[in-house]
Amino acid sequence: MSIRVLDPTAGEVVMTTGLVPGLTSLAGRTVGLLDNRKVNVRQLLDHVEEVLRSRHGVKAVIRLKKPDASRPAPPAVLAAMTECDAIISAVGD
Amino acid sequence: MTLANPPLQSAMYELADALDVNEFYQHNGWTDGLPIVPPTEERVQEYLDAAGLAPGDLIGVESVRQRPITAEKVAINAVMAGCLPTYMPVVVTALRAMCDEDFNLHGSTASTGGSAPFVVVNGPVRTAIGMNATHGVLGTGNRTNATIGRAVRLVLINVLGCIPGQLDRSTLGHPGKFTFCIAEDEEDSPWTPLAQERGVPAGASGITVMASEAPRQVMNEWTHDPEEILETFAAEIRHNMLTYSIWPGNYALVIPKQLRELLVAAGWQKQNIREYIYRAARVFRRDWAKVGKGQLVARGGGPDQEFIALRSPDDLLVIAAGGPAGGFGVVIPPWLGPRSHAVTRTI
Repeated sequence: MSIRVLDPTAGEVVMTTGLVPGLTSLAGRTVGLLDNRKVNVRQLLDHVEEVLRSRHGVKAVIRLKKPDASRPAPPAVLAAMTECDAIISAVGD
Repeated sequence: MTLANPPLQSAMYELADALDVNEFYQHNGWTDGLPIVPPTEERVQEYLDAAGLAPGDLIGVESVRQRPITAEKVAINAVMAGCLPTYMPVVVTALRAMCDEDFNLHGSTASTGGSAPFVVVNGPVRTAIGMNATHGVLGTGNRTNATIGRAVRLVLINVLGCIPGQLDRSTLGHPGKFTFCIAEDEEDSPWTPLAQERGVPAGASGITVMASEAPRQVMNEWTHDPEEILETFAAEIRHNMLTYSIWPGNYALVIPKQLRELLVAAGWQKQNIREYIYRAARVFRRDWAKVGKGQLVARGGGPDQEFIALRSPDDLLVIAAGGPAGGFGVVIPPWLGPRSHAVTRTI
């Protein structure tokens, strides 16, 4: 005699949105830099911003901040991201 | 028209026997590493009925990743953990509390800090389902305490994907991640029960959850003075602030009978304890030099900058529990100060 048992997991989560095509160039683009509020992230992103401006000819860099490392970006920050062509989400530590 | 018993939605597996079920679940990573009880359809239905829930009822949503926790999955994991059906309301309420935004379920379970949800149960449900509040309360030996905490952990693993090295990024974790659930000893304490202090009506049952690091045990058997007794607890909190995390937030004290009776004899209520610890659990930036963190002394506000453990006396959870003998107590530190708040719910 066999035993029938149930799957305890939530299963795969189906993504309902696809990925946008990648950018071929950053020239003339607006790039958002998301600060996760960990130690040293500001220095890391300062350097990234300098590289983006000096070597890639970006139009603008928008600096964004999460409230702290363990919470998601709030709606106002997410809204600001929609102004960007690309986002770099940093994990400084 | 609604069905009396809406059908269960989970995938079903047919295996030879209970031992094969255990091996299959172990192989799939669906446990905490310990053996499980086979979650058969009949058992899972029985657990749902005991809680008055339909399979699709939503217990909560982990808001960051938008992961729903359904009653069916909770029941499956509660069976696996070794719960009895009567424990379901406690498991469900603990999970509901953890889905409160204040608890920060995603952050506290994914963090390298490696915290575990500490569950404290109050009210008549404790005795009705046979919980332990005395001997070895933070240890082994009581099925109810052990399996309620384990059911919460299995839901985190199986439903939210809190698997070490995947979503759970704990560097170390601690033994409370297997199970971390106690009852308060209301019968042998004149103090107001924790849940009641935090808004659960008198006579009702309630649970409190707190994202916690490992307990730090203290001992003071050399005084009857309440302030001296509490100074030992405060010293351990100060040590935690310096060696682990400086951020203020909820701390829990578990105070067993021997020290509790001395405090009670001196007329101290929980509020007096909270106010004392609020005043005493403070350190200065310069103190970091004593614990190998001298690099921090000159930063921020400089050597004389003061740090508090509690943002207000109410941040301290005082719990009467533990065996009768021994001048011991426990400090349970927060995962990361104000990033997660203790949450209390009525069952």
